Amino acid sequence: MPVIVRIPTPLRTLTGGNEEVSLEAPATVRAVVDQLEAKHPGLKDRLLDEKGVRKFINLYVGEEDIRFLEGLDTKLTGNEQISIVPAIAGG
Amino acid sequence: MIGGRAGAIVGIVGVGGLGSPVTLALAKAGVGTLVLIDDDVVDRTNLHRQILFREADVGRHKLEAARDAIARVSPRTVVEIQREHLHPGNAGLLSEVDVIVECSDRYAVKFLAADAAQLLRKPLVVGAAIRFIGTALSTGPEGHPCYRCVFEDLPEGAQQRCDVSGVVGPVCGVIGAVQASFVLRILDGRPSYGTLASFDGRAGTLRHRPISARASCPLCGTHPTIDRIEPTRYVSDPCPQ
Repeated sequence: MPVIVRIPTPLRTLTGGNEEVSLEAPATVRAVVDQLEAKHPGLKDRLLDEKGVRKFINLYVGEEDIRFLEGLDTKLTGNEQISIVPAIAGG
Repeated sequence: MIGGRAGAIVGIVGVGGLGSPVTLALAKAGVGTLVLIDDDVVDRTNLHRQILFREADVGRHKLEAARDAIARVSPRTVVEIQREHLHPGNAGLLSEVDVIVECSDRYAVKFLAADAAQLLRKPLVVGAAIRFIGTALSTGPEGHPCYRCVFEDLPEGAQQRCDVSGVVGPVCGVIGAVQASFVLRILDGRPSYGTLASFDGRAGTLRHRPISARASCPLCGTHPTIDRIEPTRYVSDPCPQ
């Protein structure tokens, strides 16, 4: 089942302007990040550092922050929507 | 305990794209005193989103123009102006307000306001907007969760900057309205603490997500490490006007 990843504006330069990316059956959030990187090189580095998810980035499965699930090992069953919520400044 | 809207003192950090709608909405909603903190001058490029200001205000100090604008629409509102940017040396300004509303365009100021709010035990409403997206977050005086539970620390390296990315005016209006409603809920005794609102202007969607406290949070976690305002903690690239 496809998983939809919603791409925030600051990262759309890496997805050719696409607001959403559809991925085929990733089993975990880590697999989501790997598939994103394969489709759109450079995205992984914007999301993760050597310690895991970057401090100013939040990844949500549906309405749940993965930090309160199983982090990058959070399992997916399909049909989920993944949201990337970065800290932003501006106004 | 905050004594309702009329007796409340609300501090607004940054009177620009977000601070403009926040200021207008709170003044018209009957908030008694607004403390405005900013040190910028109105630029012509601000006018599309900074709805407090008119063409004739270009070149004026923002806070003087803002005070005049509020006097026109809500003459009973008391407006105090602090003509300086918020920085670690003057964060004590926030000790006199009941609610802190962070509307600046700088990461460093957002984290500074978040830390000051937690250390001063003040409710905080933070907003941000860039291009077509915006976020707003309301946190309580004890945190649990606080801003750092969600956004742990200042972004490192090159980030998108508002001088090259732009800010879409209506996004500021939406996020400013959400911020103002968060403030009014606090003043009315029905706070929305722990709620993160995110708006996507292209899709036209506004989502509210509950956020959770993080035990490892350096500001409000079980073993907090931030117990004072340390100037070196708030260093990031500025976002020019």
